[in-house]
Amino acid sequence: MGRKAKFDETKKVKKGPGRKAKKQQDPVFKKGLLDDDKEEKKLSHRQKQRAARRLKKKKEIQEKRKALKEAKKNPTQETEQTEEATSCSEDETPKGFTDDNKEWLKPKKATNKAKDPESDSNESDDEGLGEDENDASSDNDESENEEKEVSKKSKKENYKVGTLDDLFHDTDEEQDETLNDVEDDDTKKPYNSDSSAESDESEKDDDDDDDMLPIEKANIKLKKKQRLEKKLADEEMQLNIAKQDVFAFPSEEELQNPTSLQDVLQRIKDIVAVLGDFNRLKEESRSRCEYTDLLLKDLCLYYSYNEFLMEVLMQIFPVQELVEFLEASEVSRPITLRTNSLKTRRRDLAQALINRGVNLDPVGKWSKVGLVVYSSTVPIGATPEYLAGHYILQGASSFLPVMALAPQENERILDMCAAPGGKASHIAAIMKNTGSLFANDANKERTKAIVGNFHRLGVVNAIICNYDGRQFPEVIKGFDRVLLDAPCTGTGVIAKDPSVKTTKDQKDIQRCFNLQRQLLLAAIDCCNAKSSSGGYIVYSTCSILPEENEWVVNYVLKRRNVKLVPTGLDFGTEGFQKYRHHRFHPSLKLTRRFYPHTHNMDGFFVAKLKKFSNVIPEPVKDEDDEEAEQENENGDGENEVNKQNGDVSPETKNKLKAGAKRPAKADSSQPQQKKQKPNGASPQTPSAASSLTANQNKKNQKKKKNKTGQKSEVVDKQDHTSANSTEQEKTNGDKKQNELDTTEIQGDVSTPNNKVTLSASQKRRNRKKNKQGQKGENKVNKNENDSATIIKPVTSKEVPNESTLDREKNKGNTNASILNSTDSVAGKKRKNKKKNKESLIITKESTSVSAEPQTVQEGDKNQVTQTTTEVNLNEFNKNIQINTSGKGSPSKKKNKQSQVQENTNKIEQSNKDVLNKESPQTKDTNKINGSDQQTSNESSSKKKKNRKKNKNKQAGALSQINKNENKVTETVEIAAAKKLKNKKNKQKQIGKLDSNKGMKKGVDKKNFKRNKPKGK
Amino acid sequence: MKILSEDRTRILFEKLTKYIGVNVKLLIDRPDGTYCFREKKDRVYYISERLLQLAQTVKPDHLVSAGTCFGKFTKTNKFRLHITALTYIAPYAPFKLWVKPSAEQQFLYGHHVIKSGLGRITENTPKNQGVVIFTMSDIPIGFGVTARSTTDCRHADPLATIAFHQADIGEYIRSEDTLV
Amino acid sequence: MDIVNDILEREQKKAEKYKPIVVEKHLELEFDVGTLLTSDTNDLDSKLIKSDQERDIYLQSLARDNTQLLLNKIWELPTERIDEAIVVRLPQPTTVLPRAKPVPKPKPLTKWQEFAKAKGITKTKKSKLEWDEQLQKWVPLYGFRKAAAEKEKNWLIPVPQNLDPMTDMYEKKATEKSEKVAKNELQRLKNIARARKVKIPRVGLPITSDKASSTQLATATSVAKASTASLGKFQDKLPKEKEARGKGVHELIPGKERKRKLPVPTPAAEKEQNLSMIDRILRKRPKIDMEKAVSKHINEEQLQRSEEKKSMKPMKGRGKPKGKGNATNFSAKKPKGGKGQRNPSKKNPGRKRR
Repeated sequence: MGRKAKFDETKKVKKGPGRKAKKQQDPVFKKGLLDDDKEEKKLSHRQKQRAARRLKKKKEIQEKRKALKEAKKNPTQETEQTEEATSCSEDETPKGFTDDNKEWLKPKKATNKAKDPESDSNESDDEGLGEDENDASSDNDESENEEKEVSKKSKKENYKVGTLDDLFHDTDEEQDETLNDVEDDDTKKPYNSDSSAESDESEKDDDDDDDMLPIEKANIKLKKKQRLEKKLADEEMQLNIAKQDVFAFPSEEELQNPTSLQDVLQRIKDIVAVLGDFNRLKEESRSRCEYTDLLLKDLCLYYSYNEFLMEVLMQIFPVQELVEFLEASEVSRPITLRTNSLKTRRRDLAQALINRGVNLDPVGKWSKVGLVVYSSTVPIGATPEYLAGHYILQGASSFLPVMALAPQENERILDMCAAPGGKASHIAAIMKNTGSLFANDANKERTKAIVGNFHRLGVVNAIICNYDGRQFPEVIKGFDRVLLDAPCTGTGVIAKDPSVKTTKDQKDIQRCFNLQRQLLLAAIDCCNAKSSSGGYIVYSTCSILPEENEWVVNYVLKRRNVKLVPTGLDFGTEGFQKYRHHRFHPSLKLTRRFYPHTHNMDGFFVAKLKKFSNVIPEPVKDEDDEEAEQENENGDGENEVNKQNGDVSPETKNKLKAGAKRPAKADSSQPQQKKQKPNGASPQTPSAASSLTANQNKKNQKKKKNKTGQKSEVVDKQDHTSANSTEQEKTNGDKKQNELDTTEIQGDVSTPNNKVTLSASQKRRNRKKNKQGQKGENKVNKNENDSATIIKPVTSKEVPNESTLDREKNKGNTNASILNSTDSVAGKKRKNKKKNKESLIITKESTSVSAEPQTVQEGDKNQVTQTTTEVNLNEFNKNIQINTSGKGSPSKKKNKQSQVQENTNKIEQSNKDVLNKESPQTKDTNKINGSDQQTSNESSSKKKKNRKKNKNKQAGALSQINKNENKVTETVEIAAAKKLKNKKNKQKQIGKLDSNKGMKKGVDKKNFKRNKPKGK
Repeated sequence: MKILSEDRTRILFEKLTKYIGVNVKLLIDRPDGTYCFREKKDRVYYISERLLQLAQTVKPDHLVSAGTCFGKFTKTNKFRLHITALTYIAPYAPFKLWVKPSAEQQFLYGHHVIKSGLGRITENTPKNQGVVIFTMSDIPIGFGVTARSTTDCRHADPLATIAFHQADIGEYIRSEDTLV
Repeated sequence: MDIVNDILEREQKKAEKYKPIVVEKHLELEFDVGTLLTSDTNDLDSKLIKSDQERDIYLQSLARDNTQLLLNKIWELPTERIDEAIVVRLPQPTTVLPRAKPVPKPKPLTKWQEFAKAKGITKTKKSKLEWDEQLQKWVPLYGFRKAAAEKEKNWLIPVPQNLDPMTDMYEKKATEKSEKVAKNELQRLKNIARARKVKIPRVGLPITSDKASSTQLATATSVAKASTASLGKFQDKLPKEKEARGKGVHELIPGKERKRKLPVPTPAAEKEQNLSMIDRILRKRPKIDMEKAVSKHINEEQLQRSEEKKSMKPMKGRGKPKGKGNATNFSAKKPKGGKGQRNPSKKNPGRKRR
């Protein structure tokens, strides 16, 4: 069995036999909860509500009846009798035993009915609790069934009875009392039905049948009928209730003081039923999350879990299944034992044990060596057979990883976390003591257990060593197969160790899966891909949390040359491919999960990996690590969602077998390329975009008309435009690419939900870029002045609305996020005006999203970003001055640039150092990125502003300025285009997004190089 | 994992011959590969040559056990056989002793074998001879030393000790930590 | 004119005799004029280096050029003339030369220093002079004039009540002083010993034979045994004699091989050794075991007696009195409860069932 990670050495691990077969004692509760369900309780608020509602229902029913009778044309007194019955039931207060609290005493039945299906399903997997619940529920059903049929056949006689019963009206009351007290002590017992009530009523009648006058007998008969009828009424009403509404949402004060466990359980079941089909059973003005929150609280209370773990479980299971799981993990699994095929055969062992008075069976078709023990007169962990090593006590789930590993004879196999040696000895048994088996465990104490078990079981081909698994690759490599049964939080074996319920929290899970990742990497390194028979790694945990299972596997899939292969276990549920915001590699469905409630073994996870190459790809730093860091510092997934969805999608797309490098390049490339934003390229972009749109407008008119507000659309459109634009002027193609990528990157960041469209757009972008490149080659040396001419009119056109934009900028300059949001709003407004602003708008929107983390961050970060923005600002002022002066001296630019980079680096450093309180660098890159974006916009607008001033000063100067600018930029562009050209060849054979990015980086670097000599 | 010194090897073999007589040779020259004895922290391990090569890659202070532990040398340089050696001793033992089911538990808790618990015993077992002790269903449960020869057993009174307890498989539970 | 020409020619010749002082290099050399060091980072001409005849010339020329460059550098420095010699003051050397000797270790602390360090005691500077009330003058703490001051101060020492009046207080004082000095000296020596890691007895004198521990004695004996011409090869051992073991003992014993581990033989060889040893052991076994012999004998007797019983039974027919057989032939066999095969010829058909 996978042992739990033991972070504090204080508590000792129980050793020796029997530590597996540990009985689960009942959950403990506060006295306040337990005592008060004994003394009979008065109406709780909710029950009152129910009663009131039922009264209403009853009235309706009777109206219906009346209508029915009118249809039948025989008006009877019975109707007014019912009316007065209802009236009396209305006016008298619900104390003692009266009609209406008879009614509220019923609904247990209704809810029992609601509960039946799940209890049946329970029956399938767990013995202990399953049965009693079931027979209870089952006799519930049968009782109800027969009641129903009673109701059916005695439909018509209602009416005759009705004629008489105004005479016996008073006597009805005390008869009801007898019935009622029967019924209300029914309600005391958890699972009960009216069948019992029925029976003891009848016998009551029987014993008073003798020595009676005929008239009394008649009377009694009549009363019986009466009662029957009443029951019918209730019955009908119950049916209606079951149909209409099961559960009334409790009020706060009820939640403050929970009445009893029974009620809590009841509430749980109700909520589950409600969530079952929500839109029919929900109350109005109640959202689903309210229900789920309540359910969470109740479950935590009833099963005594801590909130965190319960939340996680709720994310894993649907509510119905969740309750089953919790129930299943209350009762311990049956003891299973594995025959030691080195010493005996299963049949012989079974015979021997049966002789000792053990009641057992084969565990199942899937195992040749497993035996399940139902009951035993002798201590199963101390029989001579046990001591002679004929069998070992081992959870059924512990067979699975070894079966998945499928060891062959004469192989060299490693069990990395072997203690107490159950699985390892299983491996040795399968190998028939040939080959060699390394059984390692980090804990020195527990290696003793391995030694004991191995010697007892007669395993002679084993080397038992005590290393930290992470160091094992340094010790020895080249194993044919490696089994890693990693230490985990043990959420699968809650039945064995209920302490998990309360002790585990985010930190523990964090620690666990970090350790597991390292261990699994080490295991893979130990394995030898070239071995003829093997090269397999099996990873298993006794936890059911995807963080510790699928995510870990997904992580190593990126970092080592391994692929998932079928485990060879024909049962068990498939592993998750997506969980919360994670999107795992599609091949993860080859892994197997086992649950206590479905497979009646401990919760377990098995993944089988095949190593296909011994080379270790260079380590990548990608969203997994960052996420890990993030989870360190804040557990909430909200602002993660923003990022990871974007990041995961492209990588998991293009990451297949050897895909380990690609994400690396992508990530490495992104930051610099973001930092490059402020220089030469970005100030130009608006003009470029504008220029393109000047020509594009006619084409894209229709598109603009029917454009919808959603971002993905916008992004796509923007791609189109940019692409076309590049066809128009190749000279500043590279800038638009930068532009594009910023939008694309932040598009990823910004749009968590529609990432599909995004990735699609990315693909398109690739295609476009290739095209650009090819075109770019031949048209690089286009003369400057045409671009200049193009730019000039557009800029002059743009001036007014740009200036408005400016105002907003200067207003919101202090806080990036606010500013961006305002911009985005403004941008949306302005969207339908001109195509060229779309690029700006999009960038702004994205920045606004990406800037949200800043607001979340502490003050210092905000400051940092602000400083960077300021740097960019005055940088751009400089640029403009430089341009006007006609001598573009980008050396200065470069200094500024380096400053920006320094800032970013600083931030990243700090993140690296302090995991738990600093924000991961994704945020910061986004931050910087956002600020850059914004500044680029600002700068552009600023430039425009200057221009405007100049223009209304003197037009000649304006033209002069533009000329100079264009001179600077043109040279840059030419250089870039040249660069582009030789990069293109590479890019053709590997059509990757990242190679593009790398290229662009190169381009921008080139820009610097080219600018420098000009500066001097 | 170091090789046993001359005299230690002698002591070891003398002890083994007490229990399995000439069959000690079978431990040394086996059809399947060569096996050898190595000592680590006074514990003696019986391990195949092939496995030994692998075991030597592990640092001594990280190596817990390799192959089968036969026993340990005491401070007074005597060899004490551990129950873990039973795997190899039981099949080779010339002198056996069977205990009745009633006496099994008694022996497994570390008591001597008394006449009343004696099921069967190999013919003309001499006195002070190392014997392997079986249950009636031929499961080896330990070994000891005969207190009296087979012939004497016949006449012994029911409470007389037949074999002194030396090791039993109950130790796997009783003393797991001090096992090796 | 011709004068000018031949002067020029002479100059020419001179010039040819000497190589030019300007050397052009592809890369600039790195100079450290302070240490008169120059390093040439240009790569060597590979084919010249390869060829045997040109190599030396090439290297020489290279050396010469670099030297020339270094000299040029030196000549750039400001020169002055000190008694007919042109002298250059070299700048500070920039290259760091490696140290010849290892860096000296810090002095090991004395016992007191350690203690003070542990306790955080810092020594406070005492003033060298202190005011003596009695003498009404400044008295040095120690050294010159201190002794005189002392003498002057206690020209008379009162004998306290508890002492006998005949004690010479001056002498007492002197002895105390000398003891202090001795103790201080001892401490000093101890400190030195600790620093040098010299073993010294904690208290008193080094051990002698009468107060030696058993291990020491064992060591002594084993050393003595081994210190013969044949390194104790022919010394006979006591029946239960043990080699002295322990730290450092092994080194003391002469002729002990110094290597720690035994050499690991090849598997085959080891196997051979083991087998031969086992043979020896097994051969040693067959010594007559009285016990075993007797028990064997008894066993055989019993066997053959039971044998003859079996053989006699059938020939003894009916005349055999009942129960006598039981009395004579002793067998541990239980009566078969009617389960043995019964022959009707016998008088008693099995056991009577009640």
